[in-house]
Amino acid sequence: MQGGSSGIVYGGLKYQARCITDVRADAGSTTFLAGTLSLKEENEVHLIRLLPGENELVCDGLFYHPNEIWDLKSCPFDHRLFSTVYTSGEGYGASVWKIPELYGQSNSPQLEQLFTLDDHTDKIRCVLWWPLGKHDKLISIDDRNIFLWNIDPSNKSAKVISQGSADMLPNLRGGAWDPHNHNAVATITDSSLHFWDLRSMKRSNAIEHAHIQDVDYNPKKQNIIATAEDEFGIRLWDLRMLKHPLKDLPGHSHWTWAVRHNPEYDELILSAGTDSAVNLWLAKVGTDDSGPESPSGSPTRQEEPLLHSYTDYEDSIYGIAWSSHDPSLFASLSYDGRVVLESVKPHLQRK
Amino acid sequence: MTTTVGAAPTAMDEKARRTRDLLASFYNTDPAAAGAVAASPARPSPTAATASPLESINSTSFNPDVYMDVLVQQSNLEALLQRHVKMAAEIKNLDTDLQMLVYENYNKFISATDTIKRMKTNIAGMETNMEQLLSKITSVQSRSDTVNTSLFNKRENIEKLHRTRNLLRKVQFIYDLPTRLNKCIKAGAYADAVRFFTGAKPIFEAYGDTSFQDCKKASEEAMDLVIQQLQAKLYTDSEPIEARAEAVVLLKQLNFPIENGCIVHLCLFDIVGSADLKIGSGCDLFGAQVDNLKSNLLEKLEDCLLNLQTEPMQASVGDISKTFRAYLIIFPDSESRLIELAHALFTNRYETVRGALKERIPSTDLLAMLRGLWEDATAIDEVISEAALPAFSLETTRDIIKQHIATAFLHLQTEISDVLVTHSTSNEKLEESQLQTAMEKSKIKVSQGCIDLLQEFRHLIDGNTELLVKLKDLIIDWVQEGFQDFFQKLDGHFHLLSGRSTGFSQESSTVDFVQIDKVPTVLVLMLAQLCVFIEQTTIPKVTEDLADSFSGGGARSSEYGPPFVPGEICRLYRSSGEKFLQHYVNIKTQKISKLLNKRFSTPVWLKFAHVCVLYIQPKQHKEPREVNMFVDLLLLEFNGVVSEVKQILPGLIRRHRHSDSTGSTTSSRSNPMREDMLNRSNTNRSRSQFLENHLAKLFEQKMEIFTKLEYTQESVISTVLKLCLKSLQEFVRLQTFNRSGFQQIQLDMEFLKSSLKEFIDDEAAISFLLKEVNNAAHERCLDPIPLEAPILDKLINAKLAKIKEQSANM
Repeated sequence: MQGGSSGIVYGGLKYQARCITDVRADAGSTTFLAGTLSLKEENEVHLIRLLPGENELVCDGLFYHPNEIWDLKSCPFDHRLFSTVYTSGEGYGASVWKIPELYGQSNSPQLEQLFTLDDHTDKIRCVLWWPLGKHDKLISIDDRNIFLWNIDPSNKSAKVISQGSADMLPNLRGGAWDPHNHNAVATITDSSLHFWDLRSMKRSNAIEHAHIQDVDYNPKKQNIIATAEDEFGIRLWDLRMLKHPLKDLPGHSHWTWAVRHNPEYDELILSAGTDSAVNLWLAKVGTDDSGPESPSGSPTRQEEPLLHSYTDYEDSIYGIAWSSHDPSLFASLSYDGRVVLESVKPHLQRK
Repeated sequence: MTTTVGAAPTAMDEKARRTRDLLASFYNTDPAAAGAVAASPARPSPTAATASPLESINSTSFNPDVYMDVLVQQSNLEALLQRHVKMAAEIKNLDTDLQMLVYENYNKFISATDTIKRMKTNIAGMETNMEQLLSKITSVQSRSDTVNTSLFNKRENIEKLHRTRNLLRKVQFIYDLPTRLNKCIKAGAYADAVRFFTGAKPIFEAYGDTSFQDCKKASEEAMDLVIQQLQAKLYTDSEPIEARAEAVVLLKQLNFPIENGCIVHLCLFDIVGSADLKIGSGCDLFGAQVDNLKSNLLEKLEDCLLNLQTEPMQASVGDISKTFRAYLIIFPDSESRLIELAHALFTNRYETVRGALKERIPSTDLLAMLRGLWEDATAIDEVISEAALPAFSLETTRDIIKQHIATAFLHLQTEISDVLVTHSTSNEKLEESQLQTAMEKSKIKVSQGCIDLLQEFRHLIDGNTELLVKLKDLIIDWVQEGFQDFFQKLDGHFHLLSGRSTGFSQESSTVDFVQIDKVPTVLVLMLAQLCVFIEQTTIPKVTEDLADSFSGGGARSSEYGPPFVPGEICRLYRSSGEKFLQHYVNIKTQKISKLLNKRFSTPVWLKFAHVCVLYIQPKQHKEPREVNMFVDLLLLEFNGVVSEVKQILPGLIRRHRHSDSTGSTTSSRSNPMREDMLNRSNTNRSRSQFLENHLAKLFEQKMEIFTKLEYTQESVISTVLKLCLKSLQEFVRLQTFNRSGFQQIQLDMEFLKSSLKEFIDDEAAISFLLKEVNNAAHERCLDPIPLEAPILDKLINAKLAKIKEQSANM
């Protein structure tokens, strides 16, 4: 615990880091996976668990990872599986790993590499699991293509089912899988956001002219999506009306890097930025309150959407993750490798 | 019976209530209870019986044997005993109730007997009294009859005498008629004469052949004279229209036989002619039937009035009112029609004024028009007051003035936005001081516009006309409301201009969305500054002026508060100003970010003239040869920002930076300083490997990066710079470099450090950020060996020399 901070700090990551993910499949406790990003040293994946009853984050497992990790996702149906995207100098790759059984010794057993996703010809950006549960498909996105894989963890095999090409678009950077629809995926590029239909592997529609850093589907309401943009901060969209956003939130002083809906209270939105801050927003989207917002309306009358700004960080924050076990908790990972667990409970009462 | 003495009152209440309940249950007054009782015998199965044993007991079809069997079968001994005790208690209870009811009944019976006995004794004495009364009334009646008969004869005589006297008076009148008529003729009171004559006419007709003959002849002669005179009057043009009309009416009353249609026509022809109208051949249509004539005339009058509107001032309203008067005298029952006409006339005229409003007209002109109309309305009101014209025109005038005020504000808004847009878009080449003049012009437009408007509106309330006095309070409110509304709308319009509002408004369609890239950044900056100007200068001025000449008001209820709230507007503009400024910074940062992004994401630098270092290119350790050209672009952008900001925002007077003297001033002035910096940076470089040990120190400095934006040149420029360098750092963090890539960054940052001093006072933050970029590159490099200081120095000097040369050639 550090002075002034209400959060629980985990300082076990020795190197810089960008990725943290909630282990959704672990129903019994609040667990996160974090991976480091070090060019020269040996990289690590940490399994971090919140000790129940005590305010302490402990390392439940420390595993060496051969390369620096640019993307890390936990499997939503098996808590021992996760995927990474990594680079090593000019090389790149993506794998699905299995955490070995821990027989007492927590220190550095080898990760079991189940399979690699190595059909990519361009630099891989991220891997997506279907967010809500058991699904035998996996999506990987590289600079130009989007791949749909059929995976079989027990047989340690993965097969490409289909592939879509981004054609003339600028480089793809990431994406999100619609939790309400197996067949819908959103991908982001430098200047636009595209929606794909996985059955045909074609793009359906798009949000143009937006420098989007991150995208997240609303877990409760279908057709609502949040984007983090350089220019406009955070915006909420209705997929059926892409011409105008439903709502604008100011975002951060510098880039808004990541945005996440709370898995339980979908009006709570968390955003992380390169201004070394994590902001907690309350954004009600409904058909009723999008109307009265007009340009002539006095801004003082609108409700302040920012519930709280967590600023006790020393570097840019690239990773945030809500805990699905206890939705009032979230973990944030700043570039200097510090994981901070915060509770939003004190701010929920203001709702 | 079980009551104790101590608890008497409550027990009595209790008892009464219980009795009532019992009676009620006996007579089944409660429908629910009745239903329950009725329902239970319908299903006499044992289960139902056990389910509700009490109700079953009360039912008619209750079978005690079955009930006992079921009870014995289903219950154990203890339950049976309990049931026994319970039932015994119930039985005792019922006994008590029964006893009580019997007692109650007996009580009531005794009291009823008492009442009947009392009634009997009271009635016995009444019959004798009634008989006495009857005999007295009969004697009164017989007396009244005798009085009546004795007076009857006298009363008849009196009535007869009265009738005779009336008759005699009438005869006297008839005999006096000729002299009276003559007197009237002499006095010229033809109306009276006609009235007398028509009154006596029935008598002449009935008894004309008898003794009244002489009288009749004399009267008729007198009347002939009257008719002649009336006719003469009718045909004299010099007579006033009213008099002639009166003559016509009198003639009509006298049943003046032939030609009367013609006379009326003639008369009206003159009347209508006075309103400059030619009825023309229409006169042939007029027959003897007056009704027909009347409707025709009304139509003509209508035409006349319509024409009047098209050529307004030809016939004065005085004429119209005269016409109305005459018409009213001739046809008294046509008033409603005339009211309609008058309404139509004024509605039409007000419409014309409204039409004129669409153009921006000066208040004085409008006022003159309205005043004219008001006077006309009062003139006509004297003739037909039922038309309520003043009320009507007051209402319309109110609307018109309201509209006028609204239009005035609308025009001002358009003018302001025109000034802004033309100045900021037409000058693609942003020359020195042109922006500044544009800015000044907009400022002047805003404040002058407001003052002019106030001047205009002052005319409105300064007029002393009755009309305006009535409206003064309202006008004051409207002006205040208008300003409130105007400033709010202007703010909204500014947002629209800046392209920010597209996110909010659904109605502003896709057009704006497309244009979002085209919104000139200068405009946003100008808007920001204009907001500050409005907040700090215009609003206080307007508030002062309003207080001077538009105080009072308050015609609308006080619960809404005063219509113009300067505080609210100031807040609105302050927040908008901040938003615009932020928006400006965002746009600029965005643009530079894109530039930076290109620098890292486009690998084919060979395309560009003189840069040949690929950042990510393994096994090829070339040292960088010169400063990357993106630095030039970056500096160019910064220059743009600085020149825009300097012209529009206030700030300390800084040394002017001529574009042609960049190289020379920099090199000559900052050489020793730069070396100093280089030394420092070298030490930093060696230290930077221990970055993680110095996080605390970095943290302290980091806080300076995102400071609050202020309305000064320095603040805006340094914010843009800081954000851009921060972006650069983030971009670097996303890359992986080889040695030469790292060295290139090192070189670029070193060069930037010396060049950016030109722009910025906040050197510490900038050099910290540059160092951060360097550190980031160091971290992301596999082989981070920095350039030697002398080489670095040499390359930078070469670059500076080149810039100098280029500017010299230009």
